Amino acid sequence: MSTDSSQPHVSAAARIEHVAAPIDAETAAEALKHGPRGALVVATIAVGLLFVGWLLFYFVLFLPRGSVG
Amino acid sequence: MADNVTNPLKRTLPDGIVPEDEVTRTEDRWSIIMLSMLGVMMAIIVVTGATHALHPPSNVETIDPTTLHLGGEFAESNLGTAAEPDGSVTLRMIAEQYSFVPNCAQVPVDTPVKLRITSPDVIHGFLLPATNVNTMVVPGFVAEIRTNFSRPGIYDMPCNEFCSYGHHGMWARVKVVPKDQFPDLSPVERTSCAKQ
Repeated sequence: MSTDSSQPHVSAAARIEHVAAPIDAETAAEALKHGPRGALVVATIAVGLLFVGWLLFYFVLFLPRGSVG
Repeated sequence: MADNVTNPLKRTLPDGIVPEDEVTRTEDRWSIIMLSMLGVMMAIIVVTGATHALHPPSNVETIDPTTLHLGGEFAESNLGTAAEPDGSVTLRMIAEQYSFVPNCAQVPVDTPVKLRITSPDVIHGFLLPATNVNTMVVPGFVAEIRTNFSRPGIYDMPCNEFCSYGHHGMWARVKVVPKDQFPDLSPVERTSCAKQ
């Protein structure tokens, strides 16, 4: 490891030899041929949690507080 | 520079890498999911709103704020809790800088309660914690809100609309008493939380 403080620091994290799973266009196309499933799973979980949260607020907090009009 | 060319993280993937029909199908499915979710939420709001008579307080009733004290509905003798012939009660208050008049009122539990409040000076507001009662009190208008207290207890009633430097000290209380105790209360007791 270089400790030469006269050189500007450059992170080595993005160097190709440190990238765990380099992917080329063909591999990416193969992975995405059925759509961005991983992104859909993440989005579904996020939206599902929001929806469940809304239902809980509505039925557990709002409605028991009684009607107004 | 050489790193940027060979580094796959920095190499942009070509457009159209996801098949067009897959993009369309994904967008269609996601739209259906979103519209279904919105439909369910709207249905819940409409059905519970109709079955529970839930709607935002929207009473539009004008009153002259300069003559409240001279007579009429909000004269001092009419303030507080009044029992109506149909079994419901009406609670009338005036919200003014920096107090509610009367400062406390007693109402029966499990009984339709109509709160009618107006202001002679500036915009005030009030809410009752643990209930959905929450409205503004605008001078020149009568704020009316109907509710039904399901639990006895003392509900703090703060002004929740900044009304100038004494706002923080402006609050009242609503004491919800058992139904059988309410008829025994005298008119004075109904407008006070002090022990008689």
